[in-house]
Amino acid sequence: MKPRPPSMREKRRYILARILPYGVKMDQKQVYFSVIEAATSLWGDAAVGLAQPAVVFCDGGYAVVRCRRGTEKDIATALATVNTIADERAALRTVAISGTIHALRRRIKPIRPLSEAGDVKFGETYFTVYRYPRQKVDLVEKGIKHQKSLFFTEADLEER
Amino acid sequence: MKITDASIHPYPAGDSTLARMAIEAAGLGFDSIVAIGDAGDQHHGIEVLRGAVICAASAKEVLRQVRSPAIRGADVVYVNAGDISFNRAVVSIKEVHVIRNIHATRRNAFDHVAARSAAERGVAVDISMAPIVQLRGTKRQRALQRYADILSLQRRYGFGLTISSDARSILGQRSVRDVRGLCALFGMTGAEIGEALSSVGRITEPHQPVRVVG
Repeated sequence: MKPRPPSMREKRRYILARILPYGVKMDQKQVYFSVIEAATSLWGDAAVGLAQPAVVFCDGGYAVVRCRRGTEKDIATALATVNTIADERAALRTVAISGTIHALRRRIKPIRPLSEAGDVKFGETYFTVYRYPRQKVDLVEKGIKHQKSLFFTEADLEER
Repeated sequence: MKITDASIHPYPAGDSTLARMAIEAAGLGFDSIVAIGDAGDQHHGIEVLRGAVICAASAKEVLRQVRSPAIRGADVVYVNAGDISFNRAVVSIKEVHVIRNIHATRRNAFDHVAARSAAERGVAVDISMAPIVQLRGTKRQRALQRYADILSLQRRYGFGLTISSDARSILGQRSVRDVRGLCALFGMTGAEIGEALSSVGRITEPHQPVRVVG
């Protein structure tokens, strides 16, 4: 099938969103389901059908959501209402909106732990410690599924 | 004009410490935050105000609680809204700064009489982002209806509004841009949102007549 010429294609906008908490690997499909659920419950089927949101990229703690031009503010608002991704607590923070994915890729700053993960014990619970820039420390409960997370700073951790 | 998140609940009430929430708030475009039940001064360039919440069944109990040292030491005093007579009585208490949890009350619990008193006494009404972000379906629709109702009263009587994330975690905090989008859902204009985000500063440092010293 011959593709449509560029002038006849629909204009799109791309929204770059940071996935919180850091270090959690999210499946693109699961992010898509969360975005669609949030957008549909906020704006309804008709509006979301016209906006045509889709997750076109999801890696390194970032996701790129595509939508039709003119609906990007509505979709960005819907992204703010995302609470869970794949039954895990999460949030999407809109970083930038652009007309090309290329422009958004320049805004992606990879978020990696500063050092190797350590261990700490709080009460009866063991946590794995992940350190991030700006003295951020994430504590993830040791376990297999639905682990509790705590969000501290370096100073908070030293105090305890 | 300081952009303030009017209430957050740091660790141990939530899962994120005050310092961590202050770092996130700075990254999200806020100049100050009100931490409920936590004393703070300055964290990572963010001014941290101390907030206290009064949860009472009667106005008499509120009057008793505002005299306690914990409440007296707070920069911003919140009272959880109740029924119509409770709200009318609470807005006339001098020590009360903000009425919160208005989305959880009945439809006419905050009426024109309470609105007029709130405007006269300088008491603000808190608009929490948590029900819009966390709830779904009819519960969220009801919260949006309540906020739209409060907004129409505010436009008529001119009492203050505050906007809070009510976050117990950094995952619950939202950026100023997100707050603008969420508040637009119930019809708030950009100017009204700007006014509401900066109203905590006016509560803690109200305009007073100039005094000649010495």
